[in-house]
Amino acid sequence: MHAANRLVSHTAVIFGRSFCPLFAITIIAGTMLWGPWATLAITILTICAALRYL
Amino acid sequence: MNHEASVLDRSKDESKNESRLDESSREESALQRSSREQSARLEIRPAAGKRRGILANSHDQHCVIFHLICLAAYAGAFWLYLHPGAAGISGPWSRAAFVMAAALLLGWISGIDIGVNFHNHSHRRIFTSHFLNQWFGRFWTVSAGWPSFFWEYAHVTVHHANLLHENDWTLPRHNLNGEFEDFRVYALVAWPWRYMVHLWNDLIANPGRRRKALREFAIFLPLWSIPFWIDPVMALWLWALPHWVANCLVMAPGMYVQHSGCVRKSPARPVSHSTVFLAKFFNYTMFNIGYHLEHHDHPRVHWSELPALHERLKMELIDGGAHVVPYGFYFASILLAGPPERRSRFAEQDVRYKPAPHSTTNVA
Repeated sequence: MHAANRLVSHTAVIFGRSFCPLFAITIIAGTMLWGPWATLAITILTICAALRYL
Repeated sequence: MNHEASVLDRSKDESKNESRLDESSREESALQRSSREQSARLEIRPAAGKRRGILANSHDQHCVIFHLICLAAYAGAFWLYLHPGAAGISGPWSRAAFVMAAALLLGWISGIDIGVNFHNHSHRRIFTSHFLNQWFGRFWTVSAGWPSFFWEYAHVTVHHANLLHENDWTLPRHNLNGEFEDFRVYALVAWPWRYMVHLWNDLIANPGRRRKALREFAIFLPLWSIPFWIDPVMALWLWALPHWVANCLVMAPGMYVQHSGCVRKSPARPVSHSTVFLAKFFNYTMFNIGYHLEHHDHPRVHWSELPALHERLKMELIDGGAHVVPYGFYFASILLAGPPERRSRFAEQDVRYKPAPHSTTNVA
């Protein structure tokens, strides 16, 4: 149980620290699912949100 | 041994720079000494433990993972560009939509990957092997259009050694009021134009550094040109354009907001050379780059230790009148790129870091 907790925590930290490139690769790869226009819309919304809240 | 030689090399560069400084900057050297003494007093030991195999610090695994995901994002974007059917690209407009989105995303992560992630490596090598440090570094900066040696020279030898001094050509120029030039002007002209001129003068035209600079550029150029060999048009949109985004829309605004409204370090203003950005999510996902004042005063402290260092220095920052804001670089960019009334909001201090009002009661 302790080892599982450590693994989950370690994985969460890795995902957290690399949040930006993971987000970018998800949106780029997601183009295959939702097409280029939705990718552009998500990108613009993300940039607006970052400029407002970060 | 080689690693030590390279560290000595960089120290020599910094010392040469310092020797060029005038009387007033000798005062700065005294301040640097006092900063080192402060480090000793606070028991800040840059090369403290946590070594794990090839990594100098176990937290540096995040630096490697971050960079590899950035490269994977480029590879994914290239593949989708070359296989338009898989991405639902059916004509020039949908291709333009994909290119714009991908270029912005790739430029954003490249700006962080070099401006923050590689930046940490340039101060404290992430590997225990000199060979890995050198070659991983060379491959690292290619994804933002830089030879690693050039970036390190601009950042460590010029920016850190001459912070807010006339010699620090990496920062925005000052206008007649003594303030930074317009945010947009700096973002658009600093890279590559100003950098190119200064790097030429300092590295290529300098006989002492020319050989190394040309060698590093010769290593960089074939690596940077790889996407052009695959598809020149794709490389223009999904390689060169993201590099422009990374340098002009991510790294340049970062440089601007870190030191806007700041003054050179002096005995009277020891903590007014940089701004501290405290947004938690921002710092968590940006290798704690928001603790910028602490970073400039203690550049050899590992990025993962900056929040703890900040807590230890908190009272000194408050007493010294350090500029601390509760947000990150992105919101600061919006403030500083705006009209004067919006720019003035940047000067507002985080309420938690306002000096306590002087007590009016007399203690008998």
